[in-house]
Formats: sequence, C-alpha cells, structure tokens
Amino acid sequence: MLSYIFRRLAVAIPTLLVLVVFSYLVMYAAPGGPFDTERALPQEVMANLEAKFGLDKPLVVQMANYVWNVVVHFDFGPSYYYKDQTVNDIIAQGFPVTLTYGFWSFVVAVVVGMSLGVCAAVYHNSWLDYLAVGVSIGAQVLPNFVMAPILVLVFTLWLGWLPGGGWQGGQWQYVVMPVIALSTSFMASIARLTRSSMLEVLNANYIRTARAKGLPMRKVILRHALKPALLPVVSYLGPAFVAMITGSVVVDMYFSTGGIGVFFVNSALNRDYSVIMGITILTGALTIFFNLVVDILYAWIDPKIRY
Amino acid sequence: MILSRKKVRDLETADLGNAVDGRSLWADARIRFFKNKAAVAGLVVLVLVALFAAFGSFLAPWSNEEVDWAVLGQVDTMGRPSLASGHYFGTDELGRDVFARTIQGTQISLMVGLIGALIAVVVGTIYGATSGYHGGRIDNVMMRIVDVLLAIPYMFVLILLLVVFGRSVLMLFVGIGLISWLDMARIARGQTLSIKNKEFVEAAHAIGVRPVTIIRRHILPNLLGVVIVYATLLVPSMIIYESFISFLGLGVQEPSTSWGALISDGASQMQYGTLWMLLFPLFFFVITLFAFFFVGDGLRDALDPKDR
Repeated sequence: MLSYIFRRLAVAIPTLLVLVVFSYLVMYAAPGGPFDTERALPQEVMANLEAKFGLDKPLVVQMANYVWNVVVHFDFGPSYYYKDQTVNDIIAQGFPVTLTYGFWSFVVAVVVGMSLGVCAAVYHNSWLDYLAVGVSIGAQVLPNFVMAPILVLVFTLWLGWLPGGGWQGGQWQYVVMPVIALSTSFMASIARLTRSSMLEVLNANYIRTARAKGLPMRKVILRHALKPALLPVVSYLGPAFVAMITGSVVVDMYFSTGGIGVFFVNSALNRDYSVIMGITILTGALTIFFNLVVDILYAWIDPKIRY
Repeated sequence: MILSRKKVRDLETADLGNAVDGRSLWADARIRFFKNKAAVAGLVVLVLVALFAAFGSFLAPWSNEEVDWAVLGQVDTMGRPSLASGHYFGTDELGRDVFARTIQGTQISLMVGLIGALIAVVVGTIYGATSGYHGGRIDNVMMRIVDVLLAIPYMFVLILLLVVFGRSVLMLFVGIGLISWLDMARIARGQTLSIKNKEFVEAAHAIGVRPVTIIRRHILPNLLGVVIVYATLLVPSMIIYESFISFLGLGVQEPSTSWGALISDGASQMQYGTLWMLLFPLFFFVITLFAFFFVGDGLRDALDPKDR
C-alpha cells in the first residue's frame, strides 16, 4: 500500500512540474508584456518595473525563482494588473466562494445521482427507470452554460423567486441556482453510472442466493448490492469534484458570485499572467491531489485491486 | 436411371454457392443499427443539421454580417422572427439576422467537433496501438506521458493558449486537438493489448511481418469498431468544450460565431423579452447533441454485440 502511494506520488510531482514549466513557457513566449500600455513607457521606467518583478533575469533563473517561491513559500507573486493585490490575496478572496458552492454541488450531485441510479436499477423498466434515464440523457446535453441562462429565465425572470446573481456572503437564495447549474450534468453522469453498475450487480449469482435464502429486498440491496455497485462510481467522483471547481468558471461569470473563475477570465482578458499561472497551478495541484486520494481510496475499498 | 435427364440438368445448373449468403461483420452491424429507431432518428437529425449548415445560407435573404438598420433600436418589436422581413429567426440586438448567424455558428461548431474527433481518431489510435503493441518499457513511458497530460486541467490551459497566442479558430483547433486524443489513446491501447495475443497476430509475427505492418494491417482494422463508437461520442463533447470557451467570450471572434457565442449573446439579452436570440441556437445545440448521443449508443450496440 505504502509503495503504491509512493509510486503514485512519483508520477504526481513531475506532472505538477510539467504544468508549471509549460504554463511559464507559454507565458514567456507570449508577444507583449504585462506592462505594455498604449503609450510606450520610458526605457528607465520599464527597466525599473522589470527589475522589481525580476523579469530582467534570464528565463531559467526567473522560472527557478518562481517555482521556488511557489513550492517553499506558497507565494504566487504579485498581480500585474491589480497593482495592490498579490495572487495569494486574489485566491484567498475567490476560492472560498467557489469551494462553497462547489462542495454543495458535489453533495447534491452525489446524493441525488446515486439515489436516482439505484432506484432506476431496482425498479428496472418501470416509470421510475424511464424517468431516471430520461433525466440523465436530458442533463447530458445541458452543460452548465446552458443551464445557467435557463434557470435565470425561469426562476428570476418568470417566477421571480430567486435573485439572478450575486453572492451576499453565501445566503441560501444566492447559492441555489449556481449549485443546480453546476451539479446537473454531473448528477446525470453519476445516475447513469450507478444505474448500469447496479443492474449488473443485481443480476449476479450472490444476489440470487441472498434472495433465495429469504432476505427482504431492502436488506439485499443495502447489505449486498450497494457496496460493489458503487465502486465504479467512486472512481468518477475524484475527477468530478475537481471538474466542479474548475468547471465553475461559467457559473462564476454568469451569476457574478465573485468566485475564482471571474478572476481567471478577467486576468485572461487583461493578460495578468501571474494570476492565470497561479490559478492554473492551483487547480492542477487540486486535480492531481484528488485523483491520488480517489485512487488510494479505491485501492482500499476494493479488495480486487492489485497495487 | 433414377433421376430424369431434366433433373440432372437442373442440378448441374443449380447455383449452390448463393444458397446461403454470408454476411460480413459490418453488414451485420448495419442491420442492427438500422433496427434501432432512436439511432436512426438521431442520424436523420444529424443529416438535416448538416444540410442546414451546408445549404442554409442559400435560403437566407440576409448575410450574417449585414445590419438591418430598419429594426435597430426596436429589436424587441421589429426584430421578431417573421417570414415577411426575411428574418426567419429574428434579429439580434445589433440588427443582424439570427438565421444567418445560426447557420454560421452551426458550421463552426460542427467543424470543431469533427476536427477534434478526427485528430483523436488519427493520433490517439496510432499512439495507443503502438504503445499497446510494443508493451514493456515503451508502453510504460508512452502511457505515463498520457497520464501526465490527462492530469493537467485542460480548460485552463486552453484558455491560457487562446489568450497568449491570440484568439483564432486555428488556435482553438490546436488546443482541442491537444486534449481530444488522450482518452482515445488509452482506449486503443486497452483494445490492442487483447488483440495482440490473438493467433492471427502471432501467425503474422511468425512469418516475419514487420511490426509497423502488423499494426497497420492486423491491429488497426480490429480497433475500428471501438474507435468509431468513441469518436461519435467525442464529437458532442468537443462541441461542448468549444461552446464553453465561446460562451466566456474567449473563442471564435466576431463576425464569426458559434453555438456557444450565440447562446451567450442570447442569454445576455433575454431580460428584454427577445427570447428568440437564445432559443434558436439553443435548439440546434440541444438536438445535435441529443442526436450524437443516440447515434453513438446505437453504434455501440451495433458494433459491440457482447456488450448488450
């Protein structure tokens, strides 16, 4: 087990380094710098600015400095655009918001998706099954950037029940629509996965045995069928959790939640490279970390896995 | 003589060869596919959407760039969808014809989806088949590279690329091409691992066929079924990727447009009651994705009988 974790870490760390180096090179290769303005700055001012941000040094030294600061001090450097803020400030400001509704979306997607999938499999070929399949196919073609306008149209413009955007410290009215918009397509995938693996498990011989010895259906499902059926779903949850955080760019933009996605897109438009780098590396690290966690969990839950 | 002359002659000329018509794997799959009503309906929808993208502009009295000055400033009343004004789908907030823009967006979105899938098929299949066939250390290194690339949050890297190198359709293709082949490579490798131990590959190996030829002649044709199924399911996800980026305003640039950009435009205007700007592009987006999913499912059932 320990050697498995080490081996996975041995892949994870180079991955992160590749990501850092790649993003840095792309940024460096970009035509134009962060201080290019309409009117060219005087030579001396430019030199001073570059010296302040360490941009006058050779590429290798710059990159080594950057990596060193990120790894050792957890410092992503100053923002080039928001002059009085560092990248750390921006992340600290936006990330809690994203994490809050990302977390609730995850909970909703898992609870609703799994229940729907299990019910659909248990009542196979009933109206409940058709409903679940219909919902999961429908939700597949409604990614969050389609869901968001539809939700606003219905709940804000027609019904007037919920505010169309904002955050207000995370009051529930402001959280509902982002969570629905974000969780729908994941909920659908989870429901579909759960349904098909549950169907497979319910046809297995040991389930027939359990039925034959007279266990009530409820017990058969809870004690015998659920755990093996949910295993394939677990491996989907890691990437899904990260995707809910990274996929939230649209939700942040559309509902003006003030989450990390707004900063990402604005920085992309303003060429605020250090912020883009910081957010890319942060989400990359999260992706790798959660994939690792899920793989370890998976190896721990499923005795059939060899590592 | 027991048999009469005539009977003998009949027997001589009887065409025994055609008594049982052999059906190839592909003919079998085709029959299964056309029995699946949802898949056939999906195929019909796809053909219609493709025709719409290809020939729709001949029906449009307005081009996608032209501004109809007559409706400007009163789009919510004058810009409604109507046959009389020639704006079948109405106009957008700048007085441009939504019908023509939807056609243009459909062209871009379909092209992005198809090219993304094509890159995936070509690069992913060859990469995966090579990795799987060689096995051992080569396989290990090649698959670790894929693992590393898969762990990178691509939406962010793609946005980074688009911002740094400028927003153009070409850059969009490069970015989407970078992502799309990874899963395909893993699927192709998995399939290759099981194919390469079959007797016919062993036989080819034994008579001294070179590995490149074995991969080309014996492994790739056997991968085709799985590859086609996955490619069909890949097209909609590429379209979603592109629409996502265009929705954020980072994708194709005006006057070019795509479904994502159109949906975004329409969504930003919907509080003024001009819903047609949102609903027409959305309709095409949704039915096309639906159709691709149904066709993909139908193909999977048709090409992979053991999966049923």
